[in-house]
Amino acid sequence: MSLMSLGIVRGFVWQIAGTIIGIVFAVAMRLMMGMSPWATEPVWVVAILFGSMGFLIGVGSMTDWFKWMVGIDTPMRHGPPKGKPAWTRYFGVDYNHKVIGIQYTITAIFMLAVGGAFAIIFRTELARSGLQFLNPGQYNTFIGMHGWAAIFAIFIGIGGMANYLVPLMIGAEDMAFPRLNAFAFWINIPAIVWLLASLYHGWDAGWTLYPLLSTRGEPGFQFVFLSVFLLGFSSILGSLNLIATMLMMRPKGMSLFRMPIFCWGVMGASIIQLTATQFIAQSFLMLSFERTLGMPFFNPDGGGSPLLFQHLFWFYSHPAVYVWVLPGLGVISEILPVFARKPLFGYRWIALSSIAIALVGFLVWGHHMFTSGYANSLRAPFMLATLLVAVPTGVKFFSWLGTLWGGKLTFPTPMLFALGAISVFLLGGLSGPPLALVGSDLFLHDSYFVIGHFHATIFGGFVFPFLAALYFWYPKVTGRMYNETLGKLHFWIMTPAFWMMSVGQMSVGVMGMRRRIADYDPMLGGMTSSGLSAVEIGQTVVTISAFLIAFSILLMIYNLLNSAEVGALAGNNPWRSRSPEWQIPSPAPEHSYATPIRVVGEPYDYGLPGSTYVTMATAGDD
Amino acid sequence: MRQSSTDKRHFITVSVLVLIGTAVMFWLLDSALPMPIQASIQAQTVDQVFQWTLIAIAFLFSLVVVFMLYTVIVFRRRRGDTGEGEHFEGNTALEIIWTVVPLLLVVLFGYIGVTTLTDITKAQENEVVVQVEGFQWSWLFTYPTDSGEFTSTELVLPVDQPARMEMSSRDVNHSFWIVEMRVKQDVLPGQTTVLRFTPTIEGDYKLRCAELCGLSHWNMLASVRIVSPEEYDAWLAQQSSQAAAITTASN
Ligand SMILES: [Cu+2]
Ligand SMILES: [Cu+2]
Repeated sequence: MSLMSLGIVRGFVWQIAGTIIGIVFAVAMRLMMGMSPWATEPVWVVAILFGSMGFLIGVGSMTDWFKWMVGIDTPMRHGPPKGKPAWTRYFGVDYNHKVIGIQYTITAIFMLAVGGAFAIIFRTELARSGLQFLNPGQYNTFIGMHGWAAIFAIFIGIGGMANYLVPLMIGAEDMAFPRLNAFAFWINIPAIVWLLASLYHGWDAGWTLYPLLSTRGEPGFQFVFLSVFLLGFSSILGSLNLIATMLMMRPKGMSLFRMPIFCWGVMGASIIQLTATQFIAQSFLMLSFERTLGMPFFNPDGGGSPLLFQHLFWFYSHPAVYVWVLPGLGVISEILPVFARKPLFGYRWIALSSIAIALVGFLVWGHHMFTSGYANSLRAPFMLATLLVAVPTGVKFFSWLGTLWGGKLTFPTPMLFALGAISVFLLGGLSGPPLALVGSDLFLHDSYFVIGHFHATIFGGFVFPFLAALYFWYPKVTGRMYNETLGKLHFWIMTPAFWMMSVGQMSVGVMGMRRRIADYDPMLGGMTSSGLSAVEIGQTVVTISAFLIAFSILLMIYNLLNSAEVGALAGNNPWRSRSPEWQIPSPAPEHSYATPIRVVGEPYDYGLPGSTYVTMATAGDD
Repeated sequence: MRQSSTDKRHFITVSVLVLIGTAVMFWLLDSALPMPIQASIQAQTVDQVFQWTLIAIAFLFSLVVVFMLYTVIVFRRRRGDTGEGEHFEGNTALEIIWTVVPLLLVVLFGYIGVTTLTDITKAQENEVVVQVEGFQWSWLFTYPTDSGEFTSTELVLPVDQPARMEMSSRDVNHSFWIVEMRVKQDVLPGQTTVLRFTPTIEGDYKLRCAELCGLSHWNMLASVRIVSPEEYDAWLAQQSSQAAAITTASN
């Protein structure tokens, strides 16, 4: 088998070829226009566009479409590759949503590791005051890389969960648009390449990329703008596909209020992605245009406004936080009833609270800008709208408690991570009000308190639930059980470590530690009797915790890889779940459901004798 | 024998535990979050707001966590029990309660938020006005005097007199933050932003840039001195005569 038969290898070769063609094209254009042949930034912008296109063609993500254009028919389903080992299908274009879901998930774990590695590097630097081994330029690049790598991991991780689970959960054969689905996944790969390539030139404005800092300086910025643009494109197409799938492909008897609750989280997230991603794409394109084409959207010297960028950026980036957490909160709601052996308390309230959070989320972007210099009169309305988010979020917490109350709880690893997620998300949520109230925000804005707050929110709303999901659906994906002891060890290392990290970050923030600084004043918070200053103790705790978290994640990766070979066979339904995906064999077969399913009851009626959620139609049934 | 989950005794126990939890949590938070000294009138208001949120955080945190840990201990499956949990699908009255009560809490905190905001941003009589300019990676302060103006690289302000910073940037976004004064405000190119605070304790402080502004952002500092009114007047007089002398000399 030749290496070139792997789609991803072909993609990379085409990407390199496209990049070279782009460079040649740009240089030729410049010469024709009488300019000097080389200018790093404009030439690279053209090269990035050509290279990305090259990848998407080379990998084969558009092959079926091209064939349709010239009138060649292709089969609806391609099935596993013929004449090649089964594993090769994960390294090339495949239209099966389960394959795409796994591709997304593995990519997400990879990006999580990349983002985590950057964090570990600068956390080590920050353990002590003084500049140890990073210079400020590297430091500033690494914090931004950490941010975007982590955000890639989150979006791609959500893509993984949604693609694998949604069609299975609603008994659909696949997603509504399988080719669009594959295309949306593969866009992420050149995006990741360009993001990593941005390291070469560096860029020093943090993930928020505020101008005018991001409109001057290194060409590395262009790589990030265009990389994020591609990620956003993937996000829009993916969400469109998910919404269409959930609205059009549910089986007989599954009203919206009888969907597994995870689908509601995905629905809320997809509505935001479909309608708001355009704003960040727009804002980053404007940055790119300002740099390459000399359009001064944000530079006051040319009539622009630096504040305009912040409005466009946060109009998307606040709701984006709910894209990151709503599917995760759905995972929590999905797991609790199974291990409490009880119905999900207040299904409709939980479902509608996802939509409420998604909608209120559009009205609160200004809370990121309380110190930005917009009109003082705007502060109060944004503050009130922000506080309002607490209400639907509270409904979720209380409904989870109602679900647990009176159950018969067991605590395998997924349940532990679901409960850990609740505690961490609670910490994240409750550290929000001091930032929502303008008075205390004027103090805490841009301090480490904010870092503590949003890491708790994202770990509680995405990372912990994502890990819970990995352990929970692992038997369905691989047919085998992960190692329970290692899973629990992972949980018991990671959760206390995360707690120490978050509280440590908030603590040094209150002492006056600013975010995004390569070095800090060791005297913040004053000296302690130990001979170390308070801020250094806090920083050291945070760094040690970060190492523990990284170690525990490596433990999980080992567990998941190893158990795929040596784990005990899981059987169809090791968790005794009512959800349709657990009624079919593990690993889930190529065609998930041999016959259409029919919904005959409520999804979470655990403890109601004689009730079932779905039945598999037998041959001869209508 | 397992009690029914709606047994009153469960709720009495949990309520007591929640109250204890709130107290413990408040004490923990208060010691994990050591506030710098309060060196301005605004700092007192800000810290008050922060304290109120800490009380709410401590209560809501222990409410959820105590309930959760209680279920983990009391409602765990006993060995050999393969049965299902109690079957109830929800309770509309409860859902309405835990929608409306937080809503009231939001109204309360909204009220606190808006009144304190008005409090710390309102214009005052007799403000000392300083023009602040931020640039990569320093600060420059311009003081108006009867005989023109002079500039300084340190910020000197009289104690107990309201100060108004009128700020702009020469290049990229910066942010003005003296942690002991609590309040902060971004400093932008092409726009003047205003920050008010009233220092209350004489001493030396540091102004630190709080918005990432490039390579030496971490080191974009200026020293701040809060002095007695007499000392301030003396400093003003000395600085303006020095500035006048320089102007004369250069003419
Ligand atoms: Cu926000
Ligand atoms: Cu700065």
